[in-house]
This record gives sequence, C-alpha cells and structure tokens, in this order.
Amino acid sequence: MILCRGLEKIYEGGKSGWPALRGVSFSIEPGEFVAVTGPSGCGKSTLLNILGLLDEPSGGAYELGGLDASRMSDGERSRARLHRIGFVFQAFHLLNRLSALENVCLPMMYAGETSDGMRRRAHELLARVGLKGKERKTPLELSGGERQRVAIARALANSPKLLLADEPTGNLDSASSREIMDILFELGRGGMTVIMVTHDRELAARAGRDIRMRDGKIEAHRGGDK
Amino acid sequence: MTRALYNAARTGLAEILAHKTRSTLSFLAIAAGSVVFIDAFSAIVATYARLESQKEVSGMARMKISQNNSRSVADVDDYQPPPVITYDDVLRLKERVPGLYMVSPEGTNWRNVLEYDGQRVLTRVAGITPEWRKRDFVYDLKGRFIDWHDVDQKLRVCVLVRPAPPEPSNAFFKTMRQKYNYMGGYDMLVTHNDLLGRVIKIDGINFTVIGVLDELPPSRKPPRIWWSGGDYKALAPVTTLMHYGVLRSHNSLDVSIDAGDEKGFDEAMRLVRNFLKVRFGDEDFFVVENQMDAIKESMSRNISSSLVTISLGMLAFIAGGIGIMNVTLATVFARTKEIGVRRAIGAGRGDIMLQFIVEAVMLGLIGGLLGTALGWFWGVPAKVMLGMPPSPIKVWMPLVSVFIAALTAFVFAIYPAWVAAGLKPAEALRAE
Repeated sequence: MILCRGLEKIYEGGKSGWPALRGVSFSIEPGEFVAVTGPSGCGKSTLLNILGLLDEPSGGAYELGGLDASRMSDGERSRARLHRIGFVFQAFHLLNRLSALENVCLPMMYAGETSDGMRRRAHELLARVGLKGKERKTPLELSGGERQRVAIARALANSPKLLLADEPTGNLDSASSREIMDILFELGRGGMTVIMVTHDRELAARAGRDIRMRDGKIEAHRGGDK
Repeated sequence: MTRALYNAARTGLAEILAHKTRSTLSFLAIAAGSVVFIDAFSAIVATYARLESQKEVSGMARMKISQNNSRSVADVDDYQPPPVITYDDVLRLKERVPGLYMVSPEGTNWRNVLEYDGQRVLTRVAGITPEWRKRDFVYDLKGRFIDWHDVDQKLRVCVLVRPAPPEPSNAFFKTMRQKYNYMGGYDMLVTHNDLLGRVIKIDGINFTVIGVLDELPPSRKPPRIWWSGGDYKALAPVTTLMHYGVLRSHNSLDVSIDAGDEKGFDEAMRLVRNFLKVRFGDEDFFVVENQMDAIKESMSRNISSSLVTISLGMLAFIAGGIGIMNVTLATVFARTKEIGVRRAIGAGRGDIMLQFIVEAVMLGLIGGLLGTALGWFWGVPAKVMLGMPPSPIKVWMPLVSVFIAALTAFVFAIYPAWVAAGLKPAEALRAE
C-alpha cells in the first residue's frame, strides 16, 4: 500500500535548510495498524504530511497504492486525499461555523455526492462514532472527545483505505482518549490501514507495528515488514 | 459543477452573514458604482432622446441668413445703409435654390404696441409665412395658423403666443424675470383674456386674432439641445406687416432655412451664398450661419458629458472592485487554516478558487442590487422631489448594472482566489 525509499524533507531556513527527514524508508501493507512514535521534532508529523500528500518530500520516493507521488499533479493529489485518505488531527481542524453534520458532509460535497446521499451517510457515520442526536451541534458546543469523533466521522466520509491520525488523543483526557483509540482500533480491525503518530508508548504498544523515529531517521522498528 | 456552485454559494452566504460589517462595506463600495452607472446610462438615454427629438422638431440641416451687424466702415461719413432682404428676395431664393425643406422669412422690429379693450402693452410681432411652423413648432394651437392665402392677400390676421405658467424656480430667477420681462403686460393680457376671434390693434392697425399658440409647459416640451426660435409674442403675415408699415423698408428679413437632409446641406449652403453674392455683390452684408455645425457641436458636448459620467461610473466600479479584492484577500488570510483543512480533506485548487470567487460575486451581486435600488431612488423619486426631471431608467439598465457589478467582483476576486488556491495544504494547516 505504502512504499517509502530514502524520504528526505528539508525545510527552508538557515544556510543549508533544516532537515526534518533524513532518508526514511519503510513499507506498509494494506490493513496494517502502524504507530509512528518519537520525541517532539523528530519528523513524525512531517512524515505523516508527506504520506497524506499534504506536503512533498525534498528527496527520495513515495508510492501510494502503486502510484509514484512525485509524478502526481496537484489535482491528482487532491483527488487521492479526497477518495483514498482520511485525516484525523490533534487539533481536530473542524470548521466551527458548520454543524457536526455539515463538517462530516464536507468531503462528500467535494466528491460530488448528492445532498440527500451525503446527509444520510453523515448521519450513519456520526451514529457509528456515538454522536447520534448531536448532529446539529457546532464543534464549539461539543467536548474535545466529541469533536475528535466528528473528525473521525469526517475522515471516513468517502470510505478511504488509509487513515492518517496525527496525535489523535493529544488534546484529550484519558477517558476520551480511550474511546477515540477504541474507535481507531476498531477501524483497523475492519481492514483499514491506519497510521497514527503518537507520543504515547502505551498506545504504540497496542498497534500492530511501531516505527520509532529520532532526528529525522527511523531509530527502531517493531513488528511488520521493514 | 452546478452542485459545486450551489455549495460555494451556500458557504459564501454563510461567510457574508458571519461578517456583516465587512460585507456591508463591500456592498456599499459596489453599490456606489451601480448608482453612478445607472445615472450615467439614463443621462445617455436622455441625451439620445434629446438628439432624436432635436432632429424631429428642429431638423439638423439648418442655416440662417441674417444681416451682418459687424461690418466695418472705412469712413463713418461714407456710411450707407446696408441692403435689406425683402420678401421678394425670399421668393427668388426659393426659386433659385429649389428643394429646400423650409425657407422661413422672419421680420421684426422688436418693439410693437398692442392695444385691446383700452389696454396698451408692449409686444414683439414677427412677420412670417406658413413655412414658420415647419420647424420648432412646440405649441398647442387654438384656432388656425397663418396660411398662404393670408400672406398672398396681405390679410390683417395674427396669431398670439400665450406663455406657459412660470415654473417654480428660485428667488434669483424670479427677480430676474421681474427685472427683464419687458412683455409682462402682454403676458398678463393674453393670459387673462380669450382673444381668439377678437380684433386687436398692432401699432395702431386692426388685426383679427385667428389663432392662439399656447406655449407647452416645461414637462411637455420636447427636450432639445439647441434652439433657434426668436422670442416672438405675436405672428402675422410678413407681407401684411410690410404693406401696413409695421415693418419698415429698412427692416431686413432673416431667413431660416432647413436644407432637408444633412447630405445636401453643404451644397444648399453653397447655393444660398451664391444667391446672396449674385443679388448683393461681394460685400459681406449678410451672414449665413451654419447652424448644423452648432447643433452637432452641442450634440457632441452632450455626449461627451455623458461619457464623463460613464467613466465616473466605471471608476466607482473599479474602486468597488478594489474594495472587494481587499476584503477577499483579508478573508483569504483570515481563513488560511480553513483553506488548509478543506485542502486536506480533498478540496482541489479549483474548489478553493470557486469558493472565493463565488463569495465575491455574491458580494458584487448584492451590492449591484442595492445600488440599483438606490440608483432608481435617486433617479426617480429623489430627483422629482428636488425639482429635477426624472431619469429615464429603462428595464435593461438595472440588469446591466447588476451584471457589471458581478463581473467587476468576479474580475477583482480572481487574484485573491488564486492566492488562496495556491496555498500549500501543510503550511495552511499550520497557520494560526
């Protein structure tokens, strides 16, 4: 599903730039649940942005589902994000002006789904993450855990094969974290490929595989095909 | 595409409602353009209406022969009275220059005395022929007008001009009218007496009033940009006035001519000049005014003033457009994170561009509608209340104005929308 070879990312700044990734290589098979761990600034989020086609590597190769990401146009990358990738962010990144239901509808709107179709699916997804009855509430009226559930429902809207979660429990209390992780593991068990960036060693231990990073490199691997 | 537009419009509306002050300021900027534009359009329509009415009422190919009052004389003791144009000259001119639409002689000595029922008032009588009514005839006629029989038989008949009630005007004009209306007594006499069919005396000679010309009130007067009529109070056959000595032998006739069409004008003018040369010699006793040039010049002055108004409208729209660009750019920077989120969940560059353009076009549309309403309010009720003629606002003007408002917003939103679409998703997501 995912193949990275010698991924590099250098951010502009200073004389020679600031390297965030220095030759990261790994592959991930469909259906794997992978945790990416490491201290702050080790390049986890940068890696996730590249895997999610939100950013481009400065060097190396990245293949998603057999397609070379470096050859994809901006439109192809957008379409891949729309149909094949779901994102869950630490800060939720919901649109506060919209209701929970409308937030979940957004990706389907860009996919050209009919109004009835997307509302029906959004209701289903919100019920699935335990937010039945809260569809009309705006993110500001929901708790942190509820917001993250809306974000998960939104990520699942167009039935992607890959879910990328960047510290999904970073802003949550332990009870909410547990609930969110239960949903993510459930998705993983359902056959979805999940890549989750986390600080939490305990959570990483529950993942099928753990890629530990330090200073832009992979420090250690646990489980799976390296 | 329709769905995408619909969604963008929904988002745009929500955005506009969420930022009411900002949006209102944008509407007003565009609305100002619409108001000026509608005013300018209606000014142009009014100008063309005036031009058309000018052509119809006054004709275009006009010229006028009159005595040259600025001839220099080498020695004042040698002064000889200049030759005069007589009615016979007019008849000869018609013979020599055939095909002219109108050859209207007018003779006046400017001050006459009219007597009726013991009242003596100053008046101004013009000797004319039936040709006179072919052009600039903007009166309601009661009774009949002077005909060729009256002229040929030198009948003592006359037509009186009755003034329209004065318009309400400011104190200055009222004072000026009081000061300079030498014929005020005449105006009172004809306004308060029905003289049709009565006998009056002009300079001591009996005339029967066969017709009364009511001047049209300003609201009914066809609009014109040029006016050549003399301010006459009474009209009588030119032959009668000459025969009875109301016009003396030294009174030269002016001749108003309409060549008929613009194409034949230069040739007609040449022939008229030639006639004068043959009749009166090389000396410039008479001038032939090229009134067509004067008419054309007033027309072009009118049109260029309308163009100035139009360009003001365009400038107002551009200012409004820049306002919209500014607001849209501010919106883009304020919503960078949102753009990042939308991009992350799959929105393409086109989706983002569409969203900002649709939002700006909605601002333009609402501004255009608001401006149209204000433009109508200014053009019709407000102008009427201020005593100005209402603007001739046609149905297409609001449509064009709203279209231009939306188009301006569209054009000026392209750059900010392009900036928004060009934001890198990962960087946009990091924005605070």
